[in-house]
Amino acid sequence: MARIEFKNIEKRFDDVVVIPGMDLVINDGEFVALLGPSGCGKSTSLFMLAGIYLPSGGDLLFDEHRVNEVEARDRNVGIVFQSYALYPHMTVRDNIRFPLRFKKVPDAEAKRRVREAAELVQVAELMNRRPSQLSGGQQQRVALARALVKDPQLLLLDEPLSNLDATLRLTMRTEIKALQERLGVTTILVTHDQLEATTMADRIICMREGEIEQIGSPDDLYLRPETLFVAGFIGSPPINILHGQVDSEKLRVGEAVAPLVGVGNGPFSIGLRPEHLEFGDSGVPARVIQTEPMGREILYVAESPLGLIRVLESGSQVNHRIGEETRIAFDPSNTLLFEEATGRRLDGAHFHLNTTARAA
Amino acid sequence: MAATTMNSMPSTGQSHWDRLAARARMQRRFSDVALYAFLIVVSLPIIVTYFWLLTLSFSAGRGEINTDVLWPSLFILTPALVALWIWGAVAKDRRQAFIGWGLILAGTIILYFSLLGDQLHLEGYRFLVDPDFNRLNESVVAGDKLSYSATAFPSVWVAFRNSLFVAGAQTVIVCTVASLAGYYISRFQFPLRNSMLRAMLVLHAFPTYTLVVPLFIILWYVGLLDSLVGVMLVLVGIELPFAVFIMKGFYDAVPWEVEMSALADGATRMQTYVRVVLPQVTNGLIAVTVFSFIRGWEEYIFMVTFLIKNTNWTMSLYMFFVTEENSLGIDFALVSAVAVFYVIPSLIMYTVAQKYLMQMSVSGVKG
Repeated sequence: MARIEFKNIEKRFDDVVVIPGMDLVINDGEFVALLGPSGCGKSTSLFMLAGIYLPSGGDLLFDEHRVNEVEARDRNVGIVFQSYALYPHMTVRDNIRFPLRFKKVPDAEAKRRVREAAELVQVAELMNRRPSQLSGGQQQRVALARALVKDPQLLLLDEPLSNLDATLRLTMRTEIKALQERLGVTTILVTHDQLEATTMADRIICMREGEIEQIGSPDDLYLRPETLFVAGFIGSPPINILHGQVDSEKLRVGEAVAPLVGVGNGPFSIGLRPEHLEFGDSGVPARVIQTEPMGREILYVAESPLGLIRVLESGSQVNHRIGEETRIAFDPSNTLLFEEATGRRLDGAHFHLNTTARAA
Repeated sequence: MAATTMNSMPSTGQSHWDRLAARARMQRRFSDVALYAFLIVVSLPIIVTYFWLLTLSFSAGRGEINTDVLWPSLFILTPALVALWIWGAVAKDRRQAFIGWGLILAGTIILYFSLLGDQLHLEGYRFLVDPDFNRLNESVVAGDKLSYSATAFPSVWVAFRNSLFVAGAQTVIVCTVASLAGYYISRFQFPLRNSMLRAMLVLHAFPTYTLVVPLFIILWYVGLLDSLVGVMLVLVGIELPFAVFIMKGFYDAVPWEVEMSALADGATRMQTYVRVVLPQVTNGLIAVTVFSFIRGWEEYIFMVTFLIKNTNWTMSLYMFFVTEENSLGIDFALVSAVAVFYVIPSLIMYTVAQKYLMQMSVSGVKG
């Protein structure tokens, strides 16, 4: 187990700067997710942690020790890749035992640890098979056993669930989380799937173009996104973003105008979560143009003077037909306001759009 | 099948589908038959020719070449082969199959030897035990004064050993260098990498024998003319580019993640290469081994140009001089026997390696 610290870590490939400077602390035993779209530098950070890439600058600390130049094989880091990366020419037993071969572990102890790791992920009865004879989920478990058998001080999961089908993904999500809690190993999950990150991790690090956008609990990221990017990235169905303009203490969104004090003039973005909106008698006039039943809830897409708005209603009954003219109301306390120039959220700046919309 | 068709007669739609299915079945059967017929017709000339060589080596005489044994042999063995094949398909279990095969084989052997036994002899194969085969032969024909040619011939085992050395050493060097170079080219970026790859392909397209004269001069300069090592190095140089190219292709198919895993699992780069990467390219390595060994074993032009002493003869040169060295007409049994002996190692190589050459790479990377 280890406490990981990035101190102004920088990574360049020739002239291309992938990570301009990253500061981050991951506590001992924590389960952290690196979340971001592809190309945001999350895998690069992972490979630096594993010792495959050398940082171009800054310090990488494991328990206060600088490990920048420590070889991958000496770091005692377990990795599970998206493709599992099992050794195809070895049996499951040899795959799991592989990391112990370089550690001078006595034979009896090695056998015991291989058996324990296999039992931990429930692949004990597959020991003599080859990876090609296993299903995706089984390969995943073997990869996990191989990463855990060496008692890693850090466990890295690189999109571990992406290759699994939906049901299995759900099962593995629960299992990995339970396993991590039981073993208490510091774990970093790299993913572009927000659902994986929010369901598994204690803390999420949302990245974009090599920079950390926000660090926080799943709740923080969902309810209090600090930037427009985080607001747009987290949440499914995605947040509604409306564009507006503040002009002498008045916010204009399309035809609607609302008083807004304490902010400067300029373009602003308004974020509205689909589930915080509801159809009613007051609010923005809108026409339903699409309905998407999703089981427990129904997603409506409505056309309004402010643009397309997504509304999520719980229940499995479709209450609004396509073409229906209605109004959309929302709770001002759940409105997020972002300054467009910086993309940052303005704290405490709520407003009441529906009152003025009625006037318009 | 007919019953189903009858039952579904009332519904015209159903019978329509049945007709389509029947047509598809017919087409499939027809294309199968056509394919096998084509393959048999194309491979017959090759198989019959080699079989002829084999029968000649056991039956031919001096100065005459005929098909006296070939046709009767084919006449007996072809039905036997068909019978073996049919029995294999018909037999109910393994034991029954083996008993049937044994009976068919025994019957064939008895029939074959009772009909053709008096035409067969082992005269052609005397070269295996006696390098002086010509004296032995000619003394039978014209007394022992015609023994001049015998001294020019080394034992066939010398030629065999020389060939084995050239082909074997060449294979070892080609495999070692190609597997390391292919790995490097596949995994590392370096200046002129792409030009180098292109150059290697272009080199392979060149007719190598245009290099005979310059190579002769080079070998003479460095003192490797008329030496097995010299000709072996020439073959290495010519085989290497393509072998590197093949190996690079195999390394390209090994995913990066597997190597990263091994590194994170505590292996050094060398251990990763030997224990994780190399086992995944064994098929490529076997292919390169087989092709370069056979190339070395078959080489004739460079051998005849760069090797002079008869103690340096390789099998191809031996083969050549056997056909040359007879003043009293060619001893076809002898020539055929040498040819059969010459072809055996290649044949063994192919048979053993065939399984690996055909086998697709078994990879664990699948979701």
